[in-house]
Amino acid sequence: MDNTEMSCEPLEFKQNGHLDSALLDPTTVSRAEKLIGHWVNTNPDTQGVAECEIQPEGDLFSIRIAGVGEDGPIAWPIARTKPLANLEEEAGQRTIALAATFEFGFMKSEIYIRVNKGVLVIVLFNTFQDDSGRANYLNREFFYNVAI
Amino acid sequence: MQFAQLSDRVENNGSNGALTDLRALPGVWINSNPNTTGIARMVMSESDGQLSLQTFAVGPDGLIDWGSTPVKLFAGLPNSQVAAGFTCTYDFGFAETELQGMIMKGLLVLAQFHRFKDNSKRADYFVREYYALEHGQY
Repeated sequence: MDNTEMSCEPLEFKQNGHLDSALLDPTTVSRAEKLIGHWVNTNPDTQGVAECEIQPEGDLFSIRIAGVGEDGPIAWPIARTKPLANLEEEAGQRTIALAATFEFGFMKSEIYIRVNKGVLVIVLFNTFQDDSGRANYLNREFFYNVAI
Repeated sequence: MQFAQLSDRVENNGSNGALTDLRALPGVWINSNPNTTGIARMVMSESDGQLSLQTFAVGPDGLIDWGSTPVKLFAGLPNSQVAAGFTCTYDFGFAETELQGMIMKGLLVLAQFHRFKDNSKRADYFVREYYALEHGQY
């Protein structure tokens, strides 16, 4: 394992990105405004996630998701997660991303959320934990902010 | 059959959830960004129906080989047998990196989650990069 110095401390790394000075900047994970709010799926015919609500809770963010059900939305368990610095820039500013796991028992959904040009993108990796014979599957959906 | 969204609800097609069409994933994947500071290339290999990933990242003195790790496969639908993406994890001790890849029109979109476990005070971070398969067609 290689070592090098950044500031006064030797830092372990496995790629140059681990040495990005932005990772030590406390403001790197503070730009969350673009993620906060109530988001609705851009596809009115979706069979996946209908809506998503993201709010700050101290150092964490709460994620409330409603899946499309037969007789109305299905509320998922609430996830709380700490923000991830997103070193990609959105309109000249670094933003944050969120990653969370929703545990249903029969299934778990590992998701990540980011904003791209004002559109919230949710990517889901769904793993079935029952004996239903369903394949683990992934999905990507897009959402718009209803407050705008 | 339990579901959290309508897309979870499919009939059991007798495949037991196994993915048998893995064609989209094996090969050498090259980062579309020649200036990346992250993962430069990945080699997805198949052996006895199982896939594993070897990752090479950009370091100060050339590529750093992260070694090989098994991958977990995902289809595009719960009744599909065609692999459309994968996840895997590397634990380096000082940090853990989770990779989540999905194939879109032949392009591999790779989400990377880097979480530090040392006392370096580095922020955990997310990166998304794009990779093309070396196909040698033209």
